Amino acid sequence: MTMLSSAPGGASVRGPAAPQPSTATTTKRRTQGGVVLAVPALVWYLVFMVGPLVAIFVIAALHWPGMLQPVTFAGTGNVSAVLGDPVFLDAVRNTAVQLAVALPLMIVGAYMLGYYVAQKPPGHRVLRYLLFVPGLISTPAKAMVFYAVLSPDGLLNGALDKVGLGSMTDAWLASPSTALASLIVLDLWSGVGFTAVLFAARLGSVPDEIGEAAQLDGAGHWRAMWRIHFPVIRDFVGVVTMLQFLWTLFGSAQNVLLLTQGGPGSSSTTLSFLVYQKAFIAADLGYSQTVGVVLFLVGLAGLLTIRRVFRQNY
Amino acid sequence: MKSGRSWLPAHVFAWLYVALLVVPLYYLLVSAFKTNDQIFGSPFSLPTSLSPTNFTESFSSAHLGPAVLNSLLVTALALALTLALALPAAFAIARTEGRLGALVERVFSLGFLVPTFAALFPTFLLAAATGLFHTRAFMVLFLPATAMPLSVVILVQFMRTIPREMEEAARMDGASTFAVLRHVYTPMCMPGIATILLLNFLTFWNEYLYSLVIIGPDPDLRTVQVALPTLKSLTGTDYGILTAGTVLTLVPVWVVYTVLQKRMQQALVSGAVKM
Repeated sequence: MTMLSSAPGGASVRGPAAPQPSTATTTKRRTQGGVVLAVPALVWYLVFMVGPLVAIFVIAALHWPGMLQPVTFAGTGNVSAVLGDPVFLDAVRNTAVQLAVALPLMIVGAYMLGYYVAQKPPGHRVLRYLLFVPGLISTPAKAMVFYAVLSPDGLLNGALDKVGLGSMTDAWLASPSTALASLIVLDLWSGVGFTAVLFAARLGSVPDEIGEAAQLDGAGHWRAMWRIHFPVIRDFVGVVTMLQFLWTLFGSAQNVLLLTQGGPGSSSTTLSFLVYQKAFIAADLGYSQTVGVVLFLVGLAGLLTIRRVFRQNY
Repeated sequence: MKSGRSWLPAHVFAWLYVALLVVPLYYLLVSAFKTNDQIFGSPFSLPTSLSPTNFTESFSSAHLGPAVLNSLLVTALALALTLALALPAAFAIARTEGRLGALVERVFSLGFLVPTFAALFPTFLLAAATGLFHTRAFMVLFLPATAMPLSVVILVQFMRTIPREMEEAARMDGASTFAVLRHVYTPMCMPGIATILLLNFLTFWNEYLYSLVIIGPDPDLRTVQVALPTLKSLTGTDYGILTAGTVLTLVPVWVVYTVLQKRMQQALVSGAVKM
């Protein structure tokens, strides 16, 4: 874990090191030849990442009813169309529910699980290996696993039948009351273990003395976990929370597309799926990218909030 | 581990969660060797035979053979391009002192805040405008761009640890800038290169949404992640074939993970830290 400890602050360590007089001129000469080498990567990055991102904002101001249709300037027309659309409001509600349920459960659960693994309980190697497996599986493969488990004649209904709870069986992905919940469960199922391993790795680089001192002071495990260790890795928890926030906010389009197509009705339509659906299925491109702008702003606001909440306070 | 009894709930919860992870994966694995009737009748029993019919069937009905080759091709070429772009860039940033280097590094690290999914439609327009829509070439060009922030930032950190004297010694022997990169910096940051290759291998191999939209559903061009979900609609509810196909796509990643478990975890942890 040496990489870990050197990682966060490592970037600024070297910084503007005081140049020694004897090498100053050679340094300068080398530097000028060197910066050019960063140009291809920068160009790539600007063309494929920054360009499309800026284009979202441009397209959001256009009335563009399909790839081959004439494009006209719409001004804020798309904004009022989006805000007046009940489907958009459903998507906002679903995304809010998804974030409000999945994110706290995932971070708290993963932190506790990670703390447990970091204490090296019996079997912790096996534990670590297995917890990490969902992090390797692609989104379509995970979705197919869940499809096989949750479909009407899948594993879950079969298991419920076996234990005599046949009345509780449901078409989990096709029922308005459980479709969104199924997607949240999928997020948690795959996210908690993977995140726990990240936390365990970070906790492993916290000096042992901190835990020992807490124990001498008579702190219980609960107290040691939340009052001693948590403050030490607070900023790391913040970074992981940001990543999970972004994955949930933007990545949900894939699971929705693969499992429920946003339905039934709009009961599992999330904001990021709405962007996809309006662009590639409904061909209402200005609308789609206006939602994209909303998504972007929500993401930015969320990142700043999370950063503030988890700011290192010592 | 300090004491016994008070940890009991923790043991129970941790292993309960692991059971929740393992049971669907076990189900996935055993179902791949069963027929639909066996899957519904006895979902948890071990398969009665290890016949590979489901695997061969999934291979032919979803055309997984070309899909695997396409995935390998796109992943390998995109990895090569990522290195070709990120190594010189990291080299330049690590050696440049003062504002300019810091600025360029800043630009790359801001890229962590740009979620890849955000710009799917404009990227699709870009593919159409460059005439590379429905080609694998666009993905080979595009994927490295998404990997640039992480790769550059990780490599810069490794390169900063290389002492300047190494370069000065090479310069004395008349080495050019390019030779310094190739013969001094590249060999010395092999662990960093391995880290970004692993991380990007996972991302590129598992990429779905962009491949779906840009390469499209043509069986000769599509990647394995795009081919996999077609088993769902193609075969209705033949879960044996669906699960067999899923298992097949997991094999390469699982092999790499088992062999390189420790390094891979470190890589992903360091990937998460860079923000």
